[in-house]
Amino acid sequence: MTGFIARRLVQSIVVVLLVTVIVFILLHLLPGGPARAQLGPRATPIAIANFNHEMGYDRPVPVQYWTWLEQLATGNLGFSVKLNQSVLSLIGERLPKTLILTVLSTLFALVVAIPLGVVQAVRRNQPSDYAITFWAFVFYATPPFFLGVVLIVVFSVYLPILPAEAPQSSSLGVILSQPAGLILPVLTLALLTVAQFSRYMRSSVIENLAEDYVRTARAKGAGEWTVLVRHVLRNSLIPIATLLGLSLPAIFSGALITEAVFNFPGMGELFWTAAQTQDYPIMLGITVLVGLATVIGSLLADLAYAALDPRVRFA
Amino acid sequence: MLASVTALLAAACAGQTTTPSTGRPVEGGVATFAEPANTTPNYIFPFMATEYFSVITISDFQYLMYRPLYWFGDGAKPAVNDRLSLADQPTYADGNRTVTVHLRPYSWSDGTQVTADGVAFWINMMKADKAKWAVYVPGGIPDDIDSLTVDSPSQVTFHLNKSYSAQWFLYNELSQITPLPHAWDRTAAGPRDCEHNVADCSAVYDYLADQAKSLNTYATNPLWLVVDGPWKLSSFNADGNITFIPNKTYSGPNKPHLDQVKLAPFSDNAAEYNVLRSGDNSIQVGYLPQEDAPAKPDNQAVGHNPLENNYSMDRWFNFSVNYFALNYHNPTVGPIFAQQYYRQALASLVDQKAVIKAALHGYAATTNGPVPTTPENPWATDETEPNPFTYNPDRAQQLLANHGWTTPPDGVGVCQHPGSGPDQCGPGVPAGARLEFQMMYRSGAPQVQLSMQQLQSAATKVGVRIDLQGAPFDTVIGTAIPCDAGKPDCNWQMGNWGGGWTFAPDYYPTGEQIFGTGAGSNEGSFSDPKLDQLIAATQHSDSPEAMRAYTKYGSETLPAIWQPNYDYQVTEIANNLKGVTPENPYLNITPEDWYYVK
Repeated sequence: MTGFIARRLVQSIVVVLLVTVIVFILLHLLPGGPARAQLGPRATPIAIANFNHEMGYDRPVPVQYWTWLEQLATGNLGFSVKLNQSVLSLIGERLPKTLILTVLSTLFALVVAIPLGVVQAVRRNQPSDYAITFWAFVFYATPPFFLGVVLIVVFSVYLPILPAEAPQSSSLGVILSQPAGLILPVLTLALLTVAQFSRYMRSSVIENLAEDYVRTARAKGAGEWTVLVRHVLRNSLIPIATLLGLSLPAIFSGALITEAVFNFPGMGELFWTAAQTQDYPIMLGITVLVGLATVIGSLLADLAYAALDPRVRFA
Repeated sequence: MLASVTALLAAACAGQTTTPSTGRPVEGGVATFAEPANTTPNYIFPFMATEYFSVITISDFQYLMYRPLYWFGDGAKPAVNDRLSLADQPTYADGNRTVTVHLRPYSWSDGTQVTADGVAFWINMMKADKAKWAVYVPGGIPDDIDSLTVDSPSQVTFHLNKSYSAQWFLYNELSQITPLPHAWDRTAAGPRDCEHNVADCSAVYDYLADQAKSLNTYATNPLWLVVDGPWKLSSFNADGNITFIPNKTYSGPNKPHLDQVKLAPFSDNAAEYNVLRSGDNSIQVGYLPQEDAPAKPDNQAVGHNPLENNYSMDRWFNFSVNYFALNYHNPTVGPIFAQQYYRQALASLVDQKAVIKAALHGYAATTNGPVPTTPENPWATDETEPNPFTYNPDRAQQLLANHGWTTPPDGVGVCQHPGSGPDQCGPGVPAGARLEFQMMYRSGAPQVQLSMQQLQSAATKVGVRIDLQGAPFDTVIGTAIPCDAGKPDCNWQMGNWGGGWTFAPDYYPTGEQIFGTGAGSNEGSFSDPKLDQLIAATQHSDSPEAMRAYTKYGSETLPAIWQPNYDYQVTEIANNLKGVTPENPYLNITPEDWYYVK
């Protein structure tokens, strides 16, 4: 097990480095240049030359990459001139918002989707199964911007009982102290996730209910509730564990649309703005973070497999 | 898109009535101002490098605390505001080569006076680090100042290298000066003397610029708390949530009435509109997204306000011209752009009035030439600067046909008669050259997209093919840059970033920065010796004829293709908040004038 984790960590570092190389090259292939994009239409050739020199953009790309790696090794993700802040402080400012949004919505989705999926499987092809499937498809097919706007119009404009925007602070404490402002953005993200998770859960439970071990448990006299909770549920959670593991990058990369609709600028909005202004340090910083989250998420999913399914062993 | 969906859904759900508000003025209260989407102030030191420069940072943030020597915007008029300026109108002598400025008795919040030394501090810093000043133009301030004399604590005299137009020098040069407090004349090691010694200034600049990088200390750093404006920071969050409280020692004429002014950031126009619609009164001065602005009837100032229950609506004009750039240095199409008849044909395909009505719902004015005609100003009107090339596809077709081009409708025109004669395609245009162009335009702005589609559609009918390519604003301005022919970055053909040029903080619309040969913001590298001469005349002569000659020649020559000049924003103002209008045409806000009524 320890050897497996060590090997995976080494692979992860290689993968993240490869990702940064690709991103670094792609960034330099973007049309226009970072200088003018960041300095604006008033930039004079002198200002552009100064900027390129100060940022090191006038050096060969491999040299720039090596310099960036050296900085990374010391924990320095660079400085965003456009936003006048270090990348680390920008991430520190935006990450709490994204974490709150994605973690709460994922938790909400799990709490709702798992029982829903089980109920659907147990009562498959009955009216309740059809009704839940219908709504799952509706939410699955609804773009988040539309769902967010519908929720705002209903709960903020028409009724109005909830704020139209999320709490306006970067402090975790302040944000959590205004739970009303979190309800609509969390719901927007969660409803989509509930729809997704419940479909997986339904299929997984149906599949497991047809397995031999279920028949054996029943033959041994186990009640339906015991079979379902002690045997089927555990095995049925395996696909959800995979989904959760693969959701980890999203927790760090943010939910751009939902952040924009509810004026809750987190990691998604930060990356989007950086991409538009060709703010290389921010884009690279977030790429590293999301790359790490992806490989760690994938590792955690593998570990979760082993915990949920004793047949899985690490070679 | 989001806003449109919101509007539709909300319209289906809710009805609204008008409740006008009048009442007795009261002191106190908190007002929140919605910042434009995705734009937040993030630099406090007024001597800004280009990378930090933005009109929002100056107008919505720095000027509230640190007043410029001269304040521009007199109500809604684009003019110097004598009442709010820190100094009397400058006096000129020696054939406009000597300029004397007398400062009024303003004080800093640390008890010291705003003095001539503070002006010298700024000028010396410019001399030491002019390349770091965002608005620096070679040959402009401080290059045009031979020397500066501090005559007394309240008087400073500039000795210029040439004679300049008094108006140009005031509007474009003195306008850039923000007196600095003595308390800032220091480094980490202790006090320095940049006020009197240029050699000390670089170290002081470095220190202050470094301090300005610590955004989380803006509201606590003793340096930044020394202000001469009506407001000082109470809190500053890098995400754009900013709170000001009155500077009790403010010595200007318009003392604040409110207890607090807050700036609120928004990541998206629709998100801001959602907050206004919710009616939770968290925003007192906001805006309608362009696509949600109600259609303006021709005979009315504004359309029907969708938020009239809680807000009144006001058009906020911006003193700017809007245009898209042609790359004269592009090796393929540059020679075609260089032909005046071609530019006139292209301009004749732009239907500004239709775009204003359809895409901008009436909230825009036409751009007729290089000087704005709206808002009303002394330099150009629709009468003195008419647009000679209003929408007329027939004229466009004639201009092209008369100069040796085929003009097949829905096809691509070809140069059949190369040469420099009056009925030929023009110098540098080879036989077989095709009227086929690429236009990179700013995406995400419906008015820009519609304007480009209108042009594309009209052009097709006269044999001009324009391929449209949408790109983010920053990509467009990063691509449409002055360039040398043959260099890889010189392949762009036409670029429309959707904003043209705003005349601030160089308020006199003389064009040396945008259309002068070799100017840094002359994106297309336009060059016309006669236009250069006329621009120079506006810089050196106060005769109204100089500006008239420039506007007339510029509108006929078309260094760029004019586009509708849309309003800065349609402002929504809480019904119980007064003093917000008229709004400043240089986009400065003056919350010290705002007050509530009961």
